Amino acid sequence: MKKRVLAVLLTGALAVSLLAGCGGGAGDTTTGETGDAPAAEQGSGDETEAPAEGGEGSDTITFGQAADPRSLDPAFADDGESTKINTNIYEGLVRYSDTTTEIQPSLAESWEVSDDGLTYTFHLRQGVKFHDGTDFNAEAVKINFDRQLPGNATEDMPYAGFVFAAVTEVTAEDDYTVVIKLSEAQTPFLANLAMIQGSPIVSPAALEANDNNVTNSPCGTGPYKFVSWDTNQSVVLERFEDYWGEPAKTKNLIFRIIPDNSARVIALNNGEVDVIDGIDAMVVDQISQSGNNVQTDEAMMTNYMAFNTTEGVCKDVEVRRALVQALNVPEMVQTLYQGYDQPATTFLPSSLPGYDSTIAPPAYDPEAAQKVLADKGVTSLHIITYSVARPYNTVGGQKLAEAVQGYLSKVGVECTIDAYDWTTFKEKAQTDTYDLLFAGWGGDNGDPDNFLNLLATDDISMNYSHFSSDEYKKLIADGLVTPVGDERSAIYTECEKIIADQVPILPISHANFMCGVSPRVNGFFYHVAQATKFANVTKN
Amino acid sequence: MLGKKQKPVEVPGQEKPESELHAVWESLRVNKTAIFGMVIIIILVAVALVTFLADAAGIQILPYDPNETDMTASFVKPCAEHWFGTDELGRDIFSRILDGTKISLFVGFAVVIFSLFFGIILGAVAGYKGGVVDTVIMRIMDIMLSIPGILFAITLMAALGKGLDKAIVAIGIVAIPEYARIVRGSVLSAKESDYTQAARVIGNRDLRIIFKHILPNIISPIIVRATLGISGAILDTAALGFLGLGVQPPVAEWGDMLGRAKGYIFAAPYTLVFPGLAITLVVLAFNLFGDGLSDALDPKSRKR
Repeated sequence: MKKRVLAVLLTGALAVSLLAGCGGGAGDTTTGETGDAPAAEQGSGDETEAPAEGGEGSDTITFGQAADPRSLDPAFADDGESTKINTNIYEGLVRYSDTTTEIQPSLAESWEVSDDGLTYTFHLRQGVKFHDGTDFNAEAVKINFDRQLPGNATEDMPYAGFVFAAVTEVTAEDDYTVVIKLSEAQTPFLANLAMIQGSPIVSPAALEANDNNVTNSPCGTGPYKFVSWDTNQSVVLERFEDYWGEPAKTKNLIFRIIPDNSARVIALNNGEVDVIDGIDAMVVDQISQSGNNVQTDEAMMTNYMAFNTTEGVCKDVEVRRALVQALNVPEMVQTLYQGYDQPATTFLPSSLPGYDSTIAPPAYDPEAAQKVLADKGVTSLHIITYSVARPYNTVGGQKLAEAVQGYLSKVGVECTIDAYDWTTFKEKAQTDTYDLLFAGWGGDNGDPDNFLNLLATDDISMNYSHFSSDEYKKLIADGLVTPVGDERSAIYTECEKIIADQVPILPISHANFMCGVSPRVNGFFYHVAQATKFANVTKN
Repeated sequence: MLGKKQKPVEVPGQEKPESELHAVWESLRVNKTAIFGMVIIIILVAVALVTFLADAAGIQILPYDPNETDMTASFVKPCAEHWFGTDELGRDIFSRILDGTKISLFVGFAVVIFSLFFGIILGAVAGYKGGVVDTVIMRIMDIMLSIPGILFAITLMAALGKGLDKAIVAIGIVAIPEYARIVRGSVLSAKESDYTQAARVIGNRDLRIIFKHILPNIISPIIVRATLGISGAILDTAALGFLGLGVQPPVAEWGDMLGRAKGYIFAAPYTLVFPGLAITLVVLAFNLFGDGLSDALDPKSRKR
């Protein structure tokens, strides 16, 4: 009899430990990492403050994020996870102000734009050093821009076309003057140069030493320099003491990769990390109950669903409209995001010029949808999506896909869902066939072109719906050369009308940045375009 | 005494198997935990059969359609309408758990049948033939055994892709060596026994000796292992589902339900507790029953 009691206990223990063991891995493995950093640094003993009692020292800030950066070379990164890190390592010629998207000098102290809008002359800051000790100068700018010019850019440079397509020539007039010539006037060009993707300046010496891709040994001019990147574990940065401006206030900056949402929240509440992002409404109480703050910063992000407009049943615009009619977007958004995100009707967030609240895709009407879909013989669809939480979709792509699957099954369409981790998803989106795909866009530069040109480009790593409309492309081209103002805004409103009519994508929600922040951290702000700059963040 | 002795006279040929089964049952009957396990298994099989037949016939027997989402009723706490509450998409967890029974049991049985089939063939051939054949087969089995089972299954799933059929194959392949070893060991000892020698002497072919004479005599340890193997297979399926490698959504699979609910462990614990309990219950039931069966089939420990 004793043996049986033991068997019962062991069975229970086995069931619990096996399943618990599977889930716990992500949270546990890196605890040593954060613990070690301050200790190692006390040993070196240079002008560090004494660590605060209980918990980590005030000279280390740890940020918990959901996924590895795609690349730590700004020319090869296009995702938020990379941006959050790269924004601390690199700088561009210009930058955004601390809280808005107004353009300010950075590595360039001043600049002139010719009247025809085709020539930009930048006067560079002197005495700036890269992390490897080499000097920043006009030649460095030329090398960085040249590698992304049409013809030189490789296919895996996602922002090369976006930023540099119109650039014909970059010349170093003298050591500290750069002249950039464009083939056509491009209103957002200056804003694009402030972005953390594509435009930041990498050390030419590092580029040469690393075969033109410094993703494994990043080297810029920013307030933090790179120390180590342990794949799927953490990225460690350290204050760059020779920074040209005011040095970073906190010595160590660690980005820890914690894919699981609840594990990230637990890490914050345990004090293993100081700031986390990608949280969802379900954990707000949990975070605030343990004394941490939930910070909501305005974002310009759109969570959307793309239809494949070149292959499969979604090629037919009537099918796309019917599928949109089958979805009750406001209800879905309310349930999934608990009111923390706004249901979207347009691709542009409401804060951008060109937004028009009267434009909306076909309204929810499941009966009409069912009829059209039955007539067209649409019974099954293939969805591909991402599995982790994203800033624009805090519940993760799989839950969103399942919600859509639930609505579509009510109108007689069964969906198969393939969910991949983020990096695989980006690859599959280019290689696999799909009918529906979930994606999102976080605005880079505060310009409507930044959102809407996604549907005008031929790059399928951007234009997931493979949408191609001459009328739309012409509007986007016009917008590029029209100076900022009402006329330009009207062009983008026109684009939105085409999207609502042709439905290459269905906008689902506009997100806010939601971060869990330890009360010990001061000055943290999630910027709409340059994400998490930590140089002025302190910890007590 | 007289009454009992009369029976074999009427049906002499069936005396032995009947009394054997009877003795096993007598021994099992007094083992309360084994009976407890068996009752639960019978209930679960009944639930699985009923939901499966109702589904096939298009009758809705569950309180709700297990896959139907209702975004207006997500995260309803357990109440009279939703006994186990609803999940993040407003699906009734009670219905999903009942619906998931047939999947877990189906996978459990299918995996065991799959691995038993290959395990018996490989083990019997290795044990009976001996020599080089034995060495080659058993070393391959050893190599497979040296890889942790669940890791091996995860690797296979990653290569094969998502889906219940693939999960069965992946977990089934992982379990083959265990059966092969048990069968080989039993065959090795049975091979030297008098009845095998006798069968060989009268000119039976090898295959006939293996399947007609040896296997029926070594079936007890195989049955015990298979019963316990079902619970292992169910647990492995749940682990795969938990890791997001198991089933295609929206299929209600317990491990998958558990995995997707882990983000709500504090906000909505009921989304996690009930699938977890369901897995524990079925694994417990098969382990208790298998344990009891092991005692009952072993003549030495059989209670009389």
